[in-house]
Amino acid sequence: MSVSKEELIKRLSDGVVNMEEEDVIEVVNEYLEAGYPAFDAIMEGLVDGMNRASQLYEEEEYFVTDVLLCSDAMYEGLSVLRPHLPASEAEKVKPKGIIGVVEGDTHDIGKNLVKIMLETAGFDMVDLGRDVPLQSFVDKAKEENASFVCMSTLMTTTMGGMKTVVELLREAGIREQVKVVIGGGPISKKYADTIGADGYSPNAVEAVKLVKNLLDIA
Amino acid sequence: MLSPIERLNKVFNRETVDRPPCICPGGMMNMVTTELIEEVGIKFPEAHMNAEMMADLAAAVYEKGCFENYGVPFCMTIEAEDFGAKVDMGTNIYEPHVVEYIIDSVKEWEKIPKIQFQQGRGKTVIDAIKLLKAKGSDVPIIGNLTGPISTASSIMEPVVFYKELRKSNTAAHEFMNFVTEELILFAKKQIEAGADIIAISDPSGTGEILGPKLFEEFAVKYINRIIDAVHQENIGTIVHICGGMKKVYPEANKIRANVLSFDSIVSMKEARENLSDRLLMGNVSTYAIEFGEPQKIAELTQKCVKDGVNIISPACGLGMKSSLKNVKSMIESLTKGDAVIDA
Repeated sequence: MSVSKEELIKRLSDGVVNMEEEDVIEVVNEYLEAGYPAFDAIMEGLVDGMNRASQLYEEEEYFVTDVLLCSDAMYEGLSVLRPHLPASEAEKVKPKGIIGVVEGDTHDIGKNLVKIMLETAGFDMVDLGRDVPLQSFVDKAKEENASFVCMSTLMTTTMGGMKTVVELLREAGIREQVKVVIGGGPISKKYADTIGADGYSPNAVEAVKLVKNLLDIA
Repeated sequence: MLSPIERLNKVFNRETVDRPPCICPGGMMNMVTTELIEEVGIKFPEAHMNAEMMADLAAAVYEKGCFENYGVPFCMTIEAEDFGAKVDMGTNIYEPHVVEYIIDSVKEWEKIPKIQFQQGRGKTVIDAIKLLKAKGSDVPIIGNLTGPISTASSIMEPVVFYKELRKSNTAAHEFMNFVTEELILFAKKQIEAGADIIAISDPSGTGEILGPKLFEEFAVKYINRIIDAVHQENIGTIVHICGGMKKVYPEANKIRANVLSFDSIVSMKEARENLSDRLLMGNVSTYAIEFGEPQKIAELTQKCVKDGVNIISPACGLGMKSSLKNVKSMIESLTKGDAVIDA
């Protein structure tokens, strides 16, 4: 007897929350064999699980290492499900964001979390990594026709780079097309206002709300 | 009038002092600024590799009236580099940072070479301490270690490392064990060279990243092993932990260091309430010292004293662009003011 679609989806969501990568893959295979649509497994299973994990993170029940393991389970499931998406879904254009840690700094845990949360929320993220030359943010934003740029740094020495990127975006004539959001240890709302960024987020969960707000996405 | 080393020793021994000492250990808690480098005419990237320059720069920090200690090195890449990671030495503005790892998984830890203290930058640090010791002055010499979690996550990709703490738990402990033993050796060499205090900073081993369970299992455990080895040599210890502490005060209280130092987001009043009988160091905002006004920095310094801090220090070291005027306003507020504490 085959298991109901709802039950499998619930197990996917739980698998992500419980960081059970292997379980997730197993359930995804069972789900696909039963012929259920991949899209629902992603949205109601994997993404739901990741949202629950970020809720737990917000409540300080989960910590960074937990969220990283949850996201591993989600990405594993995604990589199996994605090829089964109907072309209409797979080709759907998602809002694109550029993300990276500014030049001189290599602390990227926070950046990685923000990227995971934004991807979970349905954004297409281009990750430039860490210690990113400032001009690269601008070049990539142009090349990818991005809607927003996320920058982070943990050090006061490197935060000035964010201001430079805002200026470079202006010089490149694309400042109006891209929203700039920043975050990291020494960064504040006040600093974001000072350098002319569009927003500041104190953590990864808030970053999703902020970007959705700025892009007017419900 | 107490000499800087007498005052600091008294605080470590929990004796009464005229006022709290004002120090900045070095290592992750860097105390070198661009203005200082320019004033003494030493190129920062070279000072990371040359013992004389390192010692001269460390001495200048004291001689220019910034802090009441000598401290080396000025970055947290020494151990990682000597383990084989590739390091970019930075500029007069940017600090050195790791650009290439040597292993992809904790399971590969046996591939990592042991530190060769006869060469490399570990030796530079040891030689610099000897030079500072030769000055025979009244200034305490602080030798620094990059904490075990931070060192481990500098020689491999941190995200993979953090995940493997759970996924490959046994191998992760073996890897940490190896790193910790090498760090202990480095600490002993620094003590032999003349270090009066060993400071350990572990910014990557925070409660916020690890959560209470892993924090105790990996950060507290291995930091304590280093502390015990250092205390056996009758040398005092300072441990600096980054990030918020709310979730991990009970675990942090198990760290056996003489002095605990925290990030500026930690309220020292709250830390004092949670760690009632511990010696605390901190935590004048690094950001305020770089971007604030001297008056504000003096106020923050006095607030730390009032909140029960035993040793005044910048929260996470100094930003390179901090002005000397701002840096000095911490110590000036202590020597001018009437801040007397019972340590």
